Parts: sequence; C-alpha cells; structure tokens
Amino acid sequence: MTLHPGPTRSRLDPEPVPRRDMLGLASLWSTALAMLFGMFGIARLPKAAVLSSPSKKFRVTLPETLGPGEVFMPAGRKVALFRDAEGVYAVSTVCTHLGCLVKQAEGGFECPCHGSKFSADGTVTKGPAPQPLPWLKVTAAGGAFTVDEGEMVPPGTKVNA
Amino acid sequence: MKKNKYLLLASSLGVFVLLAVAAVQENFLKDWRKIQATAKTEEGPVAVQLRQVINRGLNLSDRCTSCHVSMGPGEQNAAGPGVLTAHKPVVHDPAEYGCTVCHGGQGHATEKDDAHGDVHFWPEPMIPVRLSYAGCGTCHIALNAPGRDGFRRARGAYERLDCAACHSMDGRGGLLRPDGGGMEGGDLSRTGISGYDREWYGKHLRQSQQAARGPWKTSFAPITQADLELLATFLDTRVGAPKLVEAKSVFLSSGCLGCHKTGAIGGDDGPELSLAGLKDPALMDFTHVPGKESVENWFTEHFRSPSGTVTGSLMPALHVPPEEMELLNFYLFSLRRRDVPVSFAPKDRVRALQFGEREFATDGATIYGAFCSGCHGADGKGFRSPGMPAFPSISNPDLLELVSDEFLIETIRKGRPGRRMPGWDRDGGLRQPEILAVVGYLRQMSGVQARPQPAPTQALPGASAAGSRIYASACAGCHGPKGEGAAGPSLNNKVFLSIATNAFLMETIGRGRRGTTMEGFRTPSPARQALSDNEIASVVSFIRSWEGSKP
Amino acid sequence: MNPATTNTAMQEFWQNLRAAPRRIYETAFRSGKPVTDRTRSSFVFGNLFLHLHSVRTHLWSLRWSTTMGLGIASTAAFLITLVTGILLMFYYKPYPDVAYDSIKDIHFVVPTGRFMRNIHRWAANVMVVTVILHMARAFYTAAYRRPREFNWLIGLGLLITTLGLSFTGYLLPWDQLAYWAITIGANIAQSPREVTDAVGITEYFDPGGLQRLLLLGSDEVGSESLIRFYLLHVMILPLVLAALMGVHFWRIRKDGGLAKPEDADARLSGRERDTYPVFTEQPAKTYQLAAIVRGKTEVVNRGPENTVPSMPHLFYAELAVLMLTMLVCLALALVSDAPLKDIANPNIPENPAKAPWYFLGLQELVSFSAFMGGIGIPTIVIIGLGLIPYLDRERTGTGVWFGGPGGWKLVRQAVAYGLGACLAVEALVIRFGWLREWFPNVPQLIVTLINPATLITLLYGAYSVWLVKRYQSARAGALGLFTCFLCGFLVLTIIGTWFRGPNWVFYWSPSDWPRH
Repeated sequence: MTLHPGPTRSRLDPEPVPRRDMLGLASLWSTALAMLFGMFGIARLPKAAVLSSPSKKFRVTLPETLGPGEVFMPAGRKVALFRDAEGVYAVSTVCTHLGCLVKQAEGGFECPCHGSKFSADGTVTKGPAPQPLPWLKVTAAGGAFTVDEGEMVPPGTKVNA
Repeated sequence: MKKNKYLLLASSLGVFVLLAVAAVQENFLKDWRKIQATAKTEEGPVAVQLRQVINRGLNLSDRCTSCHVSMGPGEQNAAGPGVLTAHKPVVHDPAEYGCTVCHGGQGHATEKDDAHGDVHFWPEPMIPVRLSYAGCGTCHIALNAPGRDGFRRARGAYERLDCAACHSMDGRGGLLRPDGGGMEGGDLSRTGISGYDREWYGKHLRQSQQAARGPWKTSFAPITQADLELLATFLDTRVGAPKLVEAKSVFLSSGCLGCHKTGAIGGDDGPELSLAGLKDPALMDFTHVPGKESVENWFTEHFRSPSGTVTGSLMPALHVPPEEMELLNFYLFSLRRRDVPVSFAPKDRVRALQFGEREFATDGATIYGAFCSGCHGADGKGFRSPGMPAFPSISNPDLLELVSDEFLIETIRKGRPGRRMPGWDRDGGLRQPEILAVVGYLRQMSGVQARPQPAPTQALPGASAAGSRIYASACAGCHGPKGEGAAGPSLNNKVFLSIATNAFLMETIGRGRRGTTMEGFRTPSPARQALSDNEIASVVSFIRSWEGSKP
Repeated sequence: MNPATTNTAMQEFWQNLRAAPRRIYETAFRSGKPVTDRTRSSFVFGNLFLHLHSVRTHLWSLRWSTTMGLGIASTAAFLITLVTGILLMFYYKPYPDVAYDSIKDIHFVVPTGRFMRNIHRWAANVMVVTVILHMARAFYTAAYRRPREFNWLIGLGLLITTLGLSFTGYLLPWDQLAYWAITIGANIAQSPREVTDAVGITEYFDPGGLQRLLLLGSDEVGSESLIRFYLLHVMILPLVLAALMGVHFWRIRKDGGLAKPEDADARLSGRERDTYPVFTEQPAKTYQLAAIVRGKTEVVNRGPENTVPSMPHLFYAELAVLMLTMLVCLALALVSDAPLKDIANPNIPENPAKAPWYFLGLQELVSFSAFMGGIGIPTIVIIGLGLIPYLDRERTGTGVWFGGPGGWKLVRQAVAYGLGACLAVEALVIRFGWLREWFPNVPQLIVTLINPATLITLLYGAYSVWLVKRYQSARAGALGLFTCFLCGFLVLTIIGTWFRGPNWVFYWSPSDWPRH
C-alpha cells in the first residue's frame, strides 16, 4: 500500500474505500464459498446414512385359537394382528397423533396420551389423531406371517395363509 | 441502599442455614448411619460408611449391606440386633453373590423403602420373606418335577419309612445316631441338586445285615421296589429350597401349562409366565384387589377370581385350599427366569435350556395335570362355564370305548383349529412319547380300553335332505346349525372330521355319552322318537358334507 | 566481576522475591481497594467479569419495582444450574442401559448427589419462571422500545433456549416420564406432516419427518436420541445461551442501561438520597470513542443524573438477588425431591404422559391439533412477540409499569377477557367436544385449521385489533394481546397440570383418576 499525497483530511472523515476492490471481494467471496461448502458437510452429519433401529419386518406365528374379533399383540412390537374369515391383517398401534402406543379398549383402541379413540379397523372416532391407524403389510410365510411395520397397505387388505 | 444490604444479609444467612440442614441430613440422619453406629465387632465398632456387594458377573451392586452389615464380605462378625443379624448359612454366600439376585428388591438403594421396593415408582419389590426361597428360581429350574399327587406319594413314602430318624433334611430330623452316637445320617436337603449315591440301598442293606445291634439293626428294614422309586422321586425334589418343588407340583397339577408357557413350553392362550415373579406392581391393576397393593395379594385375588381382577380374562377360577394357594403364589414368585450369564448358569438350567430336558416329570399323570386338567378337569370330566363353549369330557367311557388310541393321539397332536383346543405337536408343545403317555393315562384313569369297532354295515347315502332336516331338529341346538359348536363340541372342524371314522360318528350318535347332555338317539326319549340306523347314517353323511370332497 | 554489584543484585533478588506476593496481589487488583469513586470506577472497568456493567448506575434502575431483579435472578438460576449440572456430569452416563442406574447412584450413593440433582431441577424451574416474568416485566414497562428493539429479540432467543435446555434435560433420567414426554415432543417436531399429509405431499416434501429424524437420530427414542439430547443439553444449548446472554448484557450497557422514563430524575427528586448527581453540566459530546464515532451517546444533553457508583450499590443489589435465588432453589430442593419414575419402557406408555409443567399448556393445545398446538400457534406467538418493538414505535409510557394508552385499566380488562375467553372455549370443548365428535367425517385439514387452539388465538387477536382501534395505539393492542396470551398460558397450564388425567380426560381432581 502506498500513501497518496492529497489534501489533509480530518480523522473523522471516512477513509475512501475503492468501489471495486477486486482482490478484496474475491478473497471474501472465496472465504464465504469455502465456509459454505464446509457448512454443507456439517449439515449432513447429523442425519445418519443408516439408522441404528432394528429391522421393521418380523415373523409372527398366530395362536391357533385366535378368533374373529380377538386381537393378538406380539410382545415388543407395535402391531395388533387380527384374523377373521377373510384373512389376517395387521393394524399399527402407534397413535398417529403424537406416537404413543394405543391400547385395546371397548370397540377398538384408545391412546393414553391425548385421548384419541380408534375403532378396531383403525378409523379415528374421537380426539386429535389426524390419520387412522395405518394397516401394515402382512405376507404369509409358511404357516406364519411376516409383518412389515415400515410398509403400509390400504385398509381392508387381508392375507390368507 | 440499605435495603439491598439487608436482603443480601438475610438471604445469605438463609442459604447458610439451608446448607447446614442439608449437611446434617446427609451426614447424620441417614438410617444406615444410625444402624451402623450400633454394630459391634470383637475389635470394637465398625466404620460408618456405605457398604456394598459387587458382583460383576451378575451385574449387580447391592448396597443392602449398608444396613445389613453382617452380610457383607468379611463382616460376618459385626453383631447387633435386628437388621444386623447375620444371614443364615446358605450355599450362595450373600457376600459373594449379592442380595438382590435371590431376594429381589433394589440393590442400588440405600434407604429401606426404596431398597425393599415399597416405593411407588421403583419396580421390583422384594420377594416376601415368607417366600424367600422363590428367589432360587432366578437361576435354577427344578427338573423333572412330579405332579401334586406324585409328590405327595413320594413324600408319604419318605415319612412312612421314617428316613428322617437318621437323616436330617431342611434342618429337621436326624436325631438317631447309628453306631451308638457316631456319625449322623447324611443331610438330604440338597440331594436333588448335588446328587446322591445311587447305590445307597444296597449299602444300607449290607450295613443293616452286618450290624449286631443299634439303629442299623433296629431301624432299617428292606424296602419294596415301589417305595424305592417313590424315594428316588422324593430325593430328586430336594433342591435346598424346602417347598419349591412342592409348590411346583401344585402348579403342575393345576393345568396352567395348557394356556401359559413357562420356559417356552405350554399353551399360547394366556401370557407367558417365565417372568411372572418379576411383575411390576406399578403396572398392575389393583382396582379389584382388596388389601395392600402387593404382588402377592394380586396373585391371590387373581387365582380366586381371574375375570374379576383382569377384565376379559378367560382363565377359570382356581378352587384350591389356602395352603395350596400359598404354594402357587410361592411358585409364581419363583418364575423370575431372566437371562443369567453363562458362567453363572447352574447345571439344571443348562440341562433345561441347552439339552431340552423337561422341567416336569414326563409320566402321563403329571403331563395330564399340567397341560390338560385346566380345561378338561383333573378327572377328565370337562367343565362348562357361562359364555364359553363347554370343554368336553374326555374320560367318558362311551367316548373312550369308541375311539382308538390313534384318534386320541391325533386329536392331541393337531388340536381343533379355531377352537380352544390347540395342537400340541409343535415347538413349545409335547413330544410324541409324552402324548402317548397322556393317552395311556386317560385309559388308565378311566379304566376303559378301546373296543374294536365294527365296520359300517352299509354304505353311507349321499348328503340328503333327510340328514339335513334331522340334524337341524336334533343336533343344531347344541352343535350349531353349521356344526360350528355351541354348548356341544364343534363338528365341522377339519381335524375332527379327518380323524373321526364313520363308525365312531354313528356309534356316538346312537349311544350318546352317558353323563353328558349328549343323548343316545337310538333310544326314544319323551321329547322325540328314536332314530333308525338309516337316519343316523344320513346325519353322518350330512356331517361329512362339511368336509368337502372327502368321502 | 565486581563483588559489590553481585551483592546488590542478590539483595535485589531477595527483595523482589519477598515482595512477590504483595506485587502479585497489586498487579492482579491494579486499582487498589474500591474506597473512592475513582478506585470504585476502575474496580468495575478494570475487571473482566464486571466491566459489562457501567461504572455508574442510575438510581431508577436500582429501585426494586423497576425490574424486581428478574433478569439477575434468571442469570443466577442459570449459574446455579451450570454449577450443579457440571457436578452431575461427573456421574451421569448418557447410555440407555445405564442412564437410569446412574441417576439412582447420584440419588443414593453420591455424596450430596440427591441434593445437587434437586437443586439443578428446581433452579431450572426457577429459571423458566423468572425468564418468563422477566419478559413480562420488559413488556409491561415498554422497555423494548428504541434503542432496545433488538435486545428484545435476543431475549426472545434466550427464552426459547431456556425452554430447549429444560426440554432436553427432561430425557436424561431415562425414566417413563422422560421417555414418553420426549416421544410426544419428537412427534410434535414431526407434526408438519399433519398438513403435508392432508395436502398429500408428504412423499415429496417432509420437513416434519426430517426434524424428528434429526432430533432423535433414529426412528424411535433410543440410545442415539439420548446422546443427542445430552449433547444439546450440556454443550450446544448452554453455549448458545451463554453467547446470547453475553450479547444481551453487552447491549443493555450499550443501550444506556435499563429503560427509564424521560422524567426519571424528576420522579426521583425529593427523595432522600445518599448520593450526588454527576454530569452537572450538560455535556455536548462524550469523551469516549471521540475519534471514530459520529453523533451523540445516551448521556448527551441529559443534564444532571441521579447516578451512583455501580461498585458497591449495584453489586449489593445483584448479589442480594443471586443469594435470594439460591435460597429459593435450596429451599425447594430440600423440601421436594426431583421426580424419578420407573425406568423407560417403550412398550407401555405412561398414562397420563405429561411434559414438564410449563409445556402442559402446549400439550393442552396439542390435544386439539398436533401441528397447530405444537408448531403453528407457538410460531405465531413467537413471531408476534418478535414484532412488538417494530410495531409499537410510540414513546409514551416507556420505563413505567403498564405504561402507554389504556394502562393498568386496560390490562385489568385484558386479564378478565383473556381468562374468560380461554376458560369459555375450554369449557365448551370439555363439555361438548369438538368438530370430530359432531361431524365424524370432517376432513383433517379443517380440524387443523379450526380447532379450539386457533379459536382462542382468533378471539385474542380480534380483541387486540379492537383495542388498537379504540385507543388508536399499537401499544394498547400489544398490551391487550400480551396479557391475553399470558392468561391463556396460565389457564391452559393449570388445566393441563391439575385437571387432565389418564387418556387426557378432564377430571376435577387427581383423586378421581381411575386406578390403573
């Protein structure tokens, strides 16, 4: 930098800044670019590429004595299984409102957290739940059934062994 | 500005006072401090400090010894009243194994209510002291346990033969010293676990023959083969926990396994019971349970009136005397089969889990008691309760006379799909020899053998309007219009139709079942006329029509 | 070498060594004892930790009624949670299989552990209360006005961070309460799905699912979530809070201390004082930063002011509030243990599953619509709060309680209206239900848009608009709206805390709850 001789200025006058300081702008923008690119990397980190949660598919053997209107809830899973004349179907027991587990009640299910009520086929009958309980995909697997908690099917889909 | 100074002065003094209160609470008022202050050893008072038993293998750190000082490692000599009493000698030293592994409760706690599990939000209460030995069930599984009657006969033999004169067991008996004040007889409290000399009878007999006088001469006499077997059974039940196997024998005779599983064996209708003793009272419904909200009270009330305690329960009420109720409670508390580290798994558990040894005796009586008696009754007469299809009588001589053993075996193996009778030929069910044993027991209990059945004398007519009409008027009332079963058994059941022969069906309709509501239709009754063989045949062919294409 | 020189050097060395302790003290506390105004001043600006304070403090700011010490109390509560929190970190293990046991250990065997945890918990509660009250104070004294607009926004950030700290701390004990409150919280984060589902675009655009995934790090509350909440609770949020606090305090200083009425000095005159005014003549220009700053600072043209040296007057006040806050926290900690329920059980929902009390108002709203109650209305409220200083550009009433058109009378009215409207809507819903009970097939989007929560918000908004028209003043509208929302918060929180039982059913008293 060189000092250009000129008229004496007050210290309170602003220092003249050149309109087009190419070098300055380029250096600042490259800093911004580098940091921005780094931010993308940082932003990607919190979302794991593979989630640690166990498989959502599981195999279940229904009790032979399970009759129409009775429900079977495999331990440790969030599913209610039914069997009637048309076949077997699975209804999720995770409340569509805020994810509590619904429990069996008169004529269907009810959620302990905010009082949503569902009929046995998952339809909302009361409360804040925005969606019916989803039906889950069931496939027959040699006498037993495979339920996929991650995949929904249209209500009414029933599977025969 | 003085206001602020006064405020500062007051609040600082206040903080100081509160901290002092907290310090006093922390350092002087803890119960365990007071208790330890009263403990004394020969060398003087014990150091007042938190104590614990840590067992890394069992993953426990029990602070119980902070109050129960004398049960801690190397502190057996710390004597004192009440909680300071030393543990009575046991195989598993609490100083090594910890306390909660047997007694339950919360090892992490250092205050009585929390530690004993009497608080609201900390599950796992202690096993009631009366039932302490139930804690053995955490690791041990008593194998080959007999049913109630088998157990009583075995114990009866032991008492009748007065073995307790010389041998001690569970701290009783063994007063008589053979050889005139010499060695006492061996302690038999743990023969079921540690084993015993299988040649004992021969040795006893020789001793007795060689002895000139004294107890060996006067108190020992030859024993019959039947009694020897009973004694062997009884000695196998001696697992160090006096009433454990007896309690299990009551459980095994109450038909529980027909609906519930323990150790992955049993029915599916009821909840698995392998962890019943660890039930969390915070999650139990005490609405209909009188008295204290304890697991024990809940169990008792539940046995007395299952559907009154758990809404919608299909379990029949148990009508047993109070002492058996206590034993059932005891056994339920002993069902606490959490995973134990391999290095800690006892032999019996390994044999049950790894080698598939049965934890119940595999004779017909025990299996019948454990798996069948819940629905069919201890006497096989079945039972009915309102609102439920009746459970059929299976000891009926008219039935047993007509059906072949194959019919019974197939029925047990395949069950009646859709009805409450499950098929037992499956994982967690019964093995072929066990099913045979049950069939043998049925025959033996009723004293009725199968009679060779005559082949049907005439060909069955096809499904006819007559058969349908007769069925609708005579049978549908009990068996349902489509044979689906109501008060009477279901007749359209696939398995039933595949194993029942025409002769069986015809004879059953003709003769009926004495003692049940099924009448013999060959004989007239005031309400209706007798059916001819042709008519019965038409009904059978109508029933057969449910089978589809099968002739 | 000259032996005499050596001798002198040695003597000097010994002298220096002897003097070292005194010199260390003198160099550490360069200004000497704070006994004169000069040394008191340098005591303040010569000290890193104190120099955020101005050297002199206006008497108006020292009146108890001006601030009631709420800001300092919030800071004090934060410091208490900071110290106790760090102590708890010695023993806490953020892994699901041991977290609960480590809390039990803290409870039972860590010396003073239970007390520390209780203090931590109570100080956190006190902090939430004081932060909310502090905001109310700043609002009702119109302290958000120029030049403090942006500091109001930072204060809003501090409120949100405080709530975030409290919420993340809730999961750490890994008990039933924690597990299910966090399950609900995480699903509130997911609730934008309620809208995207209703519109049918979730497949392509799912901000709710992403939020939940980022918060939990997994599909369900598990070890990943615990680590994330732990990290947020002990590292990220405290850093954010500390940074925001730094800016907040620095701006108070730059904005000329606390807001006070124009005529603060006149209002104070006639009182007996143990101080004397400074700036006895009107300064035209301050002497600070004269070289590069144009214009005037706050003190220019202000005439004599009733200020006193911050050391010791302000520090007595601050220390007194700090100790008082500590007293309150300790007393609460001695009387009441921090709760710890059963260990978390993902298969059995807690019933009722209740969040910490200050979220129960939200939970009540959420029980009408997850999205509106959990995200929609809170966002509207936060944006509304943030806009207050930019909409109210008036000058009357600054620095005075309930200052502005309408004043205390308006606030009283607004309290009645706020309580009444909220109670009426709640009573209607509790007695007669809502749309879904009347028309079972009503589309979800309608329920999301029209529900008791939005109704209450609308009622409040309409009232506020009416106030603006009636008083011809934005301040009046703001006074009404803020008061209404405070009342609504109160009513909903009380209902959520004491009148909601299992299945979120209304009960007059917890003793009526069915035993489960």
